[in-house]
Amino acid sequence: MTSNQTTSVTRRLAICACLGLTLAWPSFAQVAPLKIGALLSMSGPAAVFGIPERDAITVALEDLNSQGGVNGRPVQVIFYDDRTDAAEAGRGVNQLVSRDQVVAIIGAGTGGNVLAAGPIAMRLKVPLLAPVGTIAATDKKNAFLPWVFRVAPSDAVNIRTILTDAAKDGNKRIGVFYQEDAYGKTGVDVAEQLAQSLGIQVVGSAPAPYTATDLTAQAIKLREANAQAIFMQVSVASLGAGFVKAARQVGLNVPIYGSSGLAQKSFVDGVGAGAEGLRVLSIGNLVYDPSPGEKKLSDLLRAAGKVPQGWGELVGTNGLVAAIAAAKSIKGEITGQSMRDAMENLCGLEAYARGKGCWTKDDHDGWREDALVFTEIANGRLRTRK
Amino acid sequence: MLLFTEYVIRGLFLGAMYGLLALPMSLAFVTVGTIDFAVGAYALLAAAIGATVGGTLGALLGLAGALVASLVMAAVFVLLKRAGHHDTIMIALSSFGLAVAIGSIVLASWGSTAFVRQGLDAVWTVAGIRINPQGPINLAVGLALLAGLTALLFGTGLGRMLRASAVNAQGAELAGIPVVAVQALIFAAGGLLGGIAGLLILYSSGLDFTAGLSLTLSGFAASIVFGVSNPARGFLGGLAIGVAEALSAGYGSGAMTALIPQFVVLLTLGLGMLGAGRYTGYRP
Repeated sequence: MTSNQTTSVTRRLAICACLGLTLAWPSFAQVAPLKIGALLSMSGPAAVFGIPERDAITVALEDLNSQGGVNGRPVQVIFYDDRTDAAEAGRGVNQLVSRDQVVAIIGAGTGGNVLAAGPIAMRLKVPLLAPVGTIAATDKKNAFLPWVFRVAPSDAVNIRTILTDAAKDGNKRIGVFYQEDAYGKTGVDVAEQLAQSLGIQVVGSAPAPYTATDLTAQAIKLREANAQAIFMQVSVASLGAGFVKAARQVGLNVPIYGSSGLAQKSFVDGVGAGAEGLRVLSIGNLVYDPSPGEKKLSDLLRAAGKVPQGWGELVGTNGLVAAIAAAKSIKGEITGQSMRDAMENLCGLEAYARGKGCWTKDDHDGWREDALVFTEIANGRLRTRK
Repeated sequence: MLLFTEYVIRGLFLGAMYGLLALPMSLAFVTVGTIDFAVGAYALLAAAIGATVGGTLGALLGLAGALVASLVMAAVFVLLKRAGHHDTIMIALSSFGLAVAIGSIVLASWGSTAFVRQGLDAVWTVAGIRINPQGPINLAVGLALLAGLTALLFGTGLGRMLRASAVNAQGAELAGIPVVAVQALIFAAGGLLGGIAGLLILYSSGLDFTAGLSLTLSGFAASIVFGVSNPARGFLGGLAIGVAEALSAGYGSGAMTALIPQFVVLLTLGLGMLGAGRYTGYRP
């Protein structure tokens, strides 16, 4: 066979292959994709969660599209960085809806940003799938509540779970160490509200800014308050690790509970050997002890060259799976309004994370205690407590 | 009383960090009349590299990284001077830009994970107070660097050149001192000192990519609280802020603790105590 003949055969084969592909995938080739926005904090302080959320949504999207997308229609996710800034979150909703024509938005990246984005989402009639624990995000007083659907357990659920466990072990005097922001302050406020019903007492609280370089004074304050257990409402890994080290140094040798914000690899690496037995509530256990669904997500991430970090990936993909499930259930045209209406009827929703999402007209907190696990630090790993 | 003493001691260890960050700030202010806002970012970069590589090699590479970053600032300084920009605020704003850039580079290269390394596990009990050796080490390193810097400034030819350049740049130039080159050295020194602070923080409490500017602010507050006229005052200012923070965290509302550096900056600037003599022929 001459060189010209070879080229000709190759060309014909290529043409046949192209025709074959076009005939085999008519729906994906011809149908316009369904657009979903992802308004995440991919820079700024909350990038700690925003980047894992983005990575997980990216790999899960490929997985879900390979399973047929929304009834054969491919899904496209358009990312927008809210830079951990409330004003930018508002702009992001505007842009994603007006320019990109999305029918639902996963986000915003933080509780504060959800509160800023909510009124705009309501005005533009597009639902927000909020991957945040901030209690106020689904407060019934919010006029925009019908447009906000939480895809992570709320902080109230997290805090109640931790304090219930502490009380069960006979620890009645609780000290609270918290980071100096709305997330941290919520920890103290909710703990004080729940104290009486759980038969415990908040005997002291000590806040610290994100970048504190020494936390021994806070540890001494809680030691002097004779706390029997410490609850850390902290999501900044270095701050949590710094406090645990400070507590051991000043002789505060009582059980320490970390909020779900601390279920991160960098926290476990940071606290080192002095933290054996430290209890951390966790949304799933993606990194160290994954459930079958989490294992699948973990494998997808690793195949894409990403290292699983923690719960950010799980709540991010909860949002994506919920949006696709809502879209699948719509018979007619898929719009922001029809997505919102469909979400209020979603229940028993299974994503990569544990637990089942369920929303109703009166309850927009989709995931609850069944999404959480108690973990203990052992040999530098977060072991799921049996 | 024992509790009060314990808070003061903890505050001194904490303040040593601020004092260490204040050293390059006051040095730059005294000699160049500007602020290097990137000092905290040098600390962050050194910590990031130190955490990744680990051990002595990690520390050395971290210092090298901080030095390279500060040489970028030195180069920007030289270029601005050569272009005829003598306005110190422009240099300060450039360093601010560099600080933001370093923070972004750290985020892009290392992601958002925290940088923490295990320091010494031992605990000393002195008069009923439990102390981890890392605290005294931080204080000792700070004091040693302060002594070295003071000796350099007031006991060497280079120190005389630095001070002469600061007091009368034109006169120093006429006397044959390469003023811009000498001042560029200050930025490099800032990189080294910031890098050392970053490594000590790495082994003390740890930090993440957001730490750069807040460390700068803490160092700046420390450097001006007793007047910005020399590094010793800067270090002492750091210790004072550390003790104030520890006492506030222990006895007062914890929410006040974080406000102390900002409060000091506002008070000092408001009362016009920011080394104003520096501009009227005051000899550092």
